[in-house]
Amino acid sequence: MAAAAALRIEDLHKSFDRLEVLKGIDLEVDEHEVVGLIGASGSGKSTLLRCINLLEPVNAGRVFIEGEEITARGVDVNRIRQRVGIVFQAFNLFPHMTVLRNVTLGPIEALGESRSEAEAQATELLQRFGLADKRDDYPDRLSGGQQQRVAIVRALAMKPDVMLLDEVTSALDPELVAEVLNVIRELAAGGMTMVIATHEMGFARDIANRIGFLDAGVILEEGSPEEIFSSPREERTQRFLQSIIDAGRM
Amino acid sequence: MIGGESPEKYQPLPGGSYTPPSGDRGSKILAPLKAEGARSVTIAVVSTVVVFGLLAFAILNSSGWPQIKEAFFDPMVFRESLGKIMEKFTRNVFIFLVAEVFVLILAMILAVMRSLRGPVFTPLRILAAAYTDLFRAVPTILVIFLLGFGAPALQIKGVPHSDIFWAIVALVLVYSAYVAEVYRAGIQSVHPSQVASARALGLTRGKTMRFVVVPQAVRRVLPPLLNDFIGLQKDSALVGILGYTEALRQAQIISAANFDFTPYVALALVYIVITIPEARFVDWLVARDQRRRQVAGGV
Amino acid sequence: MRKLFAFLVVGSLLFAACAEDNPTIGGTGATATGGTGATTSATATDCAAANADAFKSPGTLTIGTGNPAFPPWWEGGTSDGSEFEFNDPAKGEGYEGAVAAEVATRMGFTFPDQVTFVPVSFNKSFAPGPKDFDFVLQQISYKPERDDAVDFGESYYNVNQALVSAEGTSVADATTIEDLKDAKLGAPIGTTSLDVITEQIQPSQEPAVYDDLAQAVTDLQNGDIDGIVVDLPTAFFMAAVQIKHGVVVGQFGAESDEYFAMAFETGSPLVECVNLALDEMESDGTLDDIEQQWLADKTNAPVLD
Repeated sequence: MAAAAALRIEDLHKSFDRLEVLKGIDLEVDEHEVVGLIGASGSGKSTLLRCINLLEPVNAGRVFIEGEEITARGVDVNRIRQRVGIVFQAFNLFPHMTVLRNVTLGPIEALGESRSEAEAQATELLQRFGLADKRDDYPDRLSGGQQQRVAIVRALAMKPDVMLLDEVTSALDPELVAEVLNVIRELAAGGMTMVIATHEMGFARDIANRIGFLDAGVILEEGSPEEIFSSPREERTQRFLQSIIDAGRM
Repeated sequence: MIGGESPEKYQPLPGGSYTPPSGDRGSKILAPLKAEGARSVTIAVVSTVVVFGLLAFAILNSSGWPQIKEAFFDPMVFRESLGKIMEKFTRNVFIFLVAEVFVLILAMILAVMRSLRGPVFTPLRILAAAYTDLFRAVPTILVIFLLGFGAPALQIKGVPHSDIFWAIVALVLVYSAYVAEVYRAGIQSVHPSQVASARALGLTRGKTMRFVVVPQAVRRVLPPLLNDFIGLQKDSALVGILGYTEALRQAQIISAANFDFTPYVALALVYIVITIPEARFVDWLVARDQRRRQVAGGV
Repeated sequence: MRKLFAFLVVGSLLFAACAEDNPTIGGTGATATGGTGATTSATATDCAAANADAFKSPGTLTIGTGNPAFPPWWEGGTSDGSEFEFNDPAKGEGYEGAVAAEVATRMGFTFPDQVTFVPVSFNKSFAPGPKDFDFVLQQISYKPERDDAVDFGESYYNVNQALVSAEGTSVADATTIEDLKDAKLGAPIGTTSLDVITEQIQPSQEPAVYDDLAQAVTDLQNGDIDGIVVDLPTAFFMAAVQIKHGVVVGQFGAESDEYFAMAFETGSPLVECVNLALDEMESDGTLDDIEQQWLADKTNAPVLD
């Protein structure tokens, strides 16, 4: 294709001490594409996402964002991270800061925006996602779902090129999951490039352009949601999906 | 969705995300009483009166009590000494307030030094570790002694001779070592995902420390920080060994003149009166911070 | 609810505190010095015999003194097996050592075999409760305020306070108290020396108060203080031995009525016995001889007034 992919991962290897967790990942994500990552716990989904924004150093392989190799020597790590937004499963928000401050911290201190600029932008984002009235609250006053939505807003405030979502609903009570999923839906509809690691199969099927099944450190199977969910080729994929069905999550 | 059973309800993470019932979290001693009603209250009251009453009775009727009363609780000596002791106590207050400010700063520097990652920072880490080892090893009284008598003895121009100066320096050196470890524990207790979230926004290590880690770390260690501050308040008395008349020395002087220990009791009361409000204040700060901290568990 | 609880706790304590003290057996309040012995004894020996079970360790005289034992009050050097530093009191040397030996002998004890010395810290000498000694002998000055806590014997030495310093200090050539007004002076804690500074000299700078004389000397040599007030004999010892280029500047108030006395547990009948011994030593000149022997060269200093 003519334009560089938003995100390209080439033969990524990652080990923790002697244990190799990622054994050669290849993945390409185009602009505005949403890729869903599924797989069992321990398959390396979180690690993969953390490698993309260099929260984990990479042992071998290369990662490109908008054509720029971020795994090259001498790359300014902080600048890269400003372009890649990530939201975790838990412990996201800074509990000693208000929602507003949580959202404006990055733009002010990392992007160098002025306070008024950052606050105006933050207020707008919070409004868009129905959190305007929580602006001056501390995270302890928010429900889990609201907190995760703020976490997503906080990542958005940095105007990232790519958003990585690492099982962001796994720690939520079921009734709060929907509001977060709706936010993600809206982001996708707005054209945000995203890689989403999730257990929510129905959601993944709905929203992803492509699904990757991560198993034992490699992307075992990749394809459209229909391909993966309805007619998986690999036996391990089938077994994984079966276990999900048995657990009543699909 | 296929399958009819509802998935397992999310279980709160252990050790952190419990939200206490709203209302008065103040006194844990009396809380069970409120819970259980009038009969428990009666039992509690009776048992308290009986135990304390028996204790007081035993002490007051012991054969040595009159002598103890005269030696430790003499009203006349008490009246005579309280004023002078309180007056000298302002000197202790000056010493420990000034010292505490420098302790909090130096200790933070040491703690951050020790937490620096990266091989290039190794000498700083070693220095910080050696410092905390040294000054936690040597008894405070020795440090004050050596500096207070030794430094002026060097007869180097420009080196201050003031007892207060060296006492403050010694206290700062020693207590920074302890408080640095307290800070370090606080820093390490901040969940790594907080650091990850901050770094993920593109914040530098320094800014992450400054805006995210340190504020949380300090809030978490307020009780041990207060502990060390209270210890510092007591150790301010050590300046007395250099010859300077602070509250304890004043108490000693009156005690020796009268062959009576009541001045020490008076001093103890002064310390109690200032320490208890400090403790309640920190309790309040901690309770306020607890409420905010519940949520970091991401519920 | 919490108020009621607090009230009850405080109330029960107050109630107990107001309860009548039981009359206690032994050791209440000060009795007049002079003891409660049944018969008036004629000699110290008789008195000691009559009160034989009042001694801590019957058959032995137990004397407490400070550790280290400093000259000129105690001399003779240390002994193996004795826990005393500097000087072993059991040698009976030094002014207090000689007095102790003499008093013991006059009370019928052989010195040093029937005498035990125990180290007693200053605070222990007057702390309430039963004592480990029969009396304490360590340059303790009689003061009326102290009379409730212990019983004092008679004077065994009339004390004059003095100022000791080093050559070249601002007070080395002082001749009057006026000369000392701007000086920074030091004194050991718990002594009447401190009173001299605060009541007689009243300098503009606060006195420095030390736990022991070695620290005072250090500060003197550092130039942090100008002079030290101690009793006259100790001043001589310090000038000669402890202070480089030490000099005894002068003594205060030749007519001072301060004196050293032994301290006893309140109500001790042994006060009378020791007083009898001291009376004897006074009248037959022994006390003067002891002073001549140990303090002769330590009493000549100009008077500062």
